[in-house]
Amino acid sequence: MYELKQVDKHFPGVHALKAVDFEVKRGEIVGLVGENGAGKSTLMKVIYGAYQPDGGNITIDGTTVRFQNPRQAMDHGIGMVFQEQSLITNLTVMENIFLGFEQQFVSYGVIDWKSMADAARHQLAKVKLDIDPATITSKLSFAQRQLVELAKVLTLEERVDGDLVILLDEPTSVLAKEEVELLFKLVRDLTKRASFIFVSHRMDEVLELSDRIYVMKDGEVVDVVGHDEADVDAIQHKMVGREVDKEYYREQKQQAYDAESVLLQFDDVSNGSRFKNISFSLHAGEVLCLVGTEGSGREAILRTIYGLETPSAGKVTIKGEQIAQFTARGGVERGVGYVPRERKVEGIVGGMNVYENMTLSQMENYASNGVLRTGEEKKLAKNWIERLGIKTPSEYKDCGGLSGGNQQKVVLAKWRSGGSDIILLDHPTRGLDIGAKEDVYEMVREMSDAGIGIILIADTLEEAIGLSHTIIVIKDGEFQKRFDGRPGDKPSLYDLVHHMI
Amino acid sequence: MNLETIRPHLPWITLLGLVVIVGLINPSFFNPSGLLSLATDVAPLFIMALGMTFAIYIGGIDLSAQQVANLITVLATVYLAQFGIGVALLCVLAGFLIGAISGFVTTRLYVPSFVSTLAMGFVALSAAKYFSGERALSMDATARNESFGWMFASTAGIPHPLIIAGVLLAIAWFLQTRTTFGRALKAVGAGELAAVASGLNVDRVKILAFALSGTFAAIAGLMFSVKLSGGDANLANGFLLLAIVAVLVGGTPLTGGVGGVLNTAIGTLIVMVIRAAMVYLEVDATQQQMVFGVVLIIAIALTIDRSKLRGVVK
Amino acid sequence: MTDIAIQSPPMERFLTRERIIKWAPLLVLAVLMLLFPFFEWLEDFREGKDHIYLVDSRFFSIRNAARIFVAASPALMVAVGVTFIIIMGSIDLSMEGTVSVCAVIFAFAFLAWGGTIASFGILAIPLAMLVGAVMGFINGLVHVRLKIPSFMASLAMGFVGTGFALLLTGGDRIRVEDELFRSLLTERIFNFPIMCYVALAFLLIAWFIQSRTTLGRNFYAVGGGEELAHASGLNVERVRVLGFMLAGIFFAVGALLAVGRIGIAETATGNNFMFISITAVVVGGTALWGGIGGVWNTLVGVLVVNVINNGMVVIGLPGYVQDGVLGLLVIIAVVLSTDRKSVSFVK
Repeated sequence: MYELKQVDKHFPGVHALKAVDFEVKRGEIVGLVGENGAGKSTLMKVIYGAYQPDGGNITIDGTTVRFQNPRQAMDHGIGMVFQEQSLITNLTVMENIFLGFEQQFVSYGVIDWKSMADAARHQLAKVKLDIDPATITSKLSFAQRQLVELAKVLTLEERVDGDLVILLDEPTSVLAKEEVELLFKLVRDLTKRASFIFVSHRMDEVLELSDRIYVMKDGEVVDVVGHDEADVDAIQHKMVGREVDKEYYREQKQQAYDAESVLLQFDDVSNGSRFKNISFSLHAGEVLCLVGTEGSGREAILRTIYGLETPSAGKVTIKGEQIAQFTARGGVERGVGYVPRERKVEGIVGGMNVYENMTLSQMENYASNGVLRTGEEKKLAKNWIERLGIKTPSEYKDCGGLSGGNQQKVVLAKWRSGGSDIILLDHPTRGLDIGAKEDVYEMVREMSDAGIGIILIADTLEEAIGLSHTIIVIKDGEFQKRFDGRPGDKPSLYDLVHHMI
Repeated sequence: MNLETIRPHLPWITLLGLVVIVGLINPSFFNPSGLLSLATDVAPLFIMALGMTFAIYIGGIDLSAQQVANLITVLATVYLAQFGIGVALLCVLAGFLIGAISGFVTTRLYVPSFVSTLAMGFVALSAAKYFSGERALSMDATARNESFGWMFASTAGIPHPLIIAGVLLAIAWFLQTRTTFGRALKAVGAGELAAVASGLNVDRVKILAFALSGTFAAIAGLMFSVKLSGGDANLANGFLLLAIVAVLVGGTPLTGGVGGVLNTAIGTLIVMVIRAAMVYLEVDATQQQMVFGVVLIIAIALTIDRSKLRGVVK
Repeated sequence: MTDIAIQSPPMERFLTRERIIKWAPLLVLAVLMLLFPFFEWLEDFREGKDHIYLVDSRFFSIRNAARIFVAASPALMVAVGVTFIIIMGSIDLSMEGTVSVCAVIFAFAFLAWGGTIASFGILAIPLAMLVGAVMGFINGLVHVRLKIPSFMASLAMGFVGTGFALLLTGGDRIRVEDELFRSLLTERIFNFPIMCYVALAFLLIAWFIQSRTTLGRNFYAVGGGEELAHASGLNVERVRVLGFMLAGIFFAVGALLAVGRIGIAETATGNNFMFISITAVVVGGTALWGGIGGVWNTLVGVLVVNVINNGMVVIGLPGYVQDGVLGLLVIIAVVLSTDRKSVSFVK
């Protein structure tokens, strides 16, 4: 009924969707799985009209359609239940359900609350949610809100003639086990009126609910399996596929770390609901990689080490000193350097030049009584520009105008020149082109050789395996498994995925 | 040539253009003694705008500057007899304190600066009315001349207010460009999150920026008070708009991070020339506020960095 | 039916932040209304005079209540106008200029068209409201089209407005002495001047707009989640501009009542409205971040502000204290209404 044929989508430097064929039959639940970056979200955006494909075509019942925006997709019966809560919490449930479509209840400029409430009740009944439509949304539980979102999408049923296709993006991420069951039961019931596309990183749920499962990797659909022949292991193998290129990740340069010298120790550290009872230690020269899905708590661990967040329980020890006061300033003073994921927002200060950025975390080393010794700053910058091969006309260049790879080098220079020996890398290669990525890998090796301990959140699993001495897999904020990654004896992608999802 | 490349140069081009226009309309504008007296008149405003620059440079605003100056005119007048020249220290401290409190309320209590400074302004107004007994006070002429007579004297033909303004500008410029504090200010204004992630004590920097704004407003108030030889809870009214205009037309945008105190010097000169032009063109004094209101809107629209507003403008 | 509905909501404590925000303003008002008579009683008690608490209070009398309501009426209209804006998460600081301009234009037109309500002079009233709407429209356009933060756009527009009013009057005061118009103040129904009822009527209109019209509800949607509202197909820019127009109309009503109260229109008619109205709105419990609160909150806020003003005079405190008290009150109110977890940094 709803079909994508040979759909292509390019972004600058990325071929995000490669000739994707995708079909949803009437009353079917289709699962969609793939690693981060496999193209799932791009595909969904094409389906609900947020992106327009560059090639191929989309047909509904054989008629070719083209959506300029989500609103047009909606008019053709395609609705999206968003992963993030997209309800406005200070409005009532019924206002949320009909937001942007209130006009049908207005007569002479006055909203008829009663008829809106009746209509809302009708929608809520579809998702079997028995609440007063005039309830303020913030008073609902997350599970209830998820159902309201579903009810909101189901208003399409009245607005659109023909079949509905509803996308569910990670709908279970905030739900408890029994709530998931209820949601699934509901979705199965609703297949009488609509087809569903179900996206989740929880493999067991996808297997349980879906009639057919599309497996994506690197922008391609690599397999389509039916519910009955689906097998977790087989799917996971398909998801990861390719083996690691040793050359690319400078594996031959990987040296053993110094197991005697512990730089950082986590003992049963928890931080609210973001991560729980995490323990590990980082040694001089070690690259420790935290592996997990988006939102598994990896980033919170980095921010806790750096001092931007205070743990709720447990003991963090840096170089033998137990941390009592968690501040970023303290982190810097203890020799921790943080390379954040959002390079342009948190990494560099756009509008400040290269040397100003490099000394930002260590100004007191280049100042007497608060007066900066700019000459020394510039010398330092020149030195590091040469050392890391930063491509910039001079140290006066505004960092906002450098390329991504060079910005990343400036951030690294900031920490290395300040003598940081624990470096936290959060997606250091995100958005970089291949050459710049290789530069970053080279630097990682160089730093470990210099005895710096590195904690890495890698952009891909291959990168994590290639670069790390140690891998710790985390799922939903909890420790799953620790892998040793000596060169030649690294865990496989499959080993990791198996524990991640 | 597009707007982005010209933008940093707009302030002085504007200034030059205005000077030429005014000069053409009225060649006597270039009369040195006239220019000098114009500049001298604008000195207190300039000093207040200098302080305001720090608040705007970090992306905030100080709406209390005028009320702080009002309070200081009262304090200076009331305590002149008692402390003599020492009253200057009292004034500066009071300004610093009020600014620091605004800064604290903004950074630690998460109250947006336009509200916190507005509120602190009314606290200052309240204090000004208290100390003045809600009357217009005047300074004892002898004590004034003894302690602050130097302030409006002149050396080698240069009036002292100009020298004071110059010295303060030099200090502010030094702070902005040569010290760790100035560098931190820039980092906070240009990329607050990156400043936090680099381990800077961002709260302290911001509090200090507001405190400096208060301090400079206090110095402006003191100067104004000595000039008019008195104090009143409304004496400095009308300064706020002009101070904000001076900062913004100078090229420090409301979003902070670029520009700085030298820009404010140019901005103040622009304000001065516009005022002079209005006098020559016989634009009624009553219309000035309207003109500057419109100038303000144009200046903001031209300088503001919309990419920093992240799509949502509230 | 599924069991999901039975699940308890996320937070079920007695003293939630929401509850505090909701009830604190009323509580403050109640406490103030008991406190001022107490001070009176205390004073008389010290001096040995007979004084029964509340009964003999000068503060707690109908006459004084009327005084408070008269003083509060213009401010209430201005505050109600800005309430809509604050619900959207924006702010409007142009009220002083707008009120002055509306007052002055009204007075000129009123006098020119007959000088009494019983003539074409009455048309000056809709004219003033139209002027308010136009000024709000310009204000909204400057804010939305030039993408200037509303506090600065409206502050600048306020300066322009005050300047314009000054230009119109040349600094003169215009007397509006028509008895029929002044009956707003002079004529009383049940001890309260007519202007109180006019203010009440407009408050009800505002309530109607807030709760029963699409525009009113859209203010809440924009304040609660601008991007989400936009994604749902709401024309957020249009809502914002209409909001500023609506605010302008209420500022104009405030101006009319202010002129009715004093009988004079001048540039200074708008003075002090900015701080009082903003204070009233946030003290009433409408959050500066937008999305919660409403016109009834603003009524409570305006009463709190005016009770403080009036009470201080009654117990003999000097008038200047109130500016400072209100300043602190604003800070406290904003602090209370801020959910610190949801704010990353503030400028």
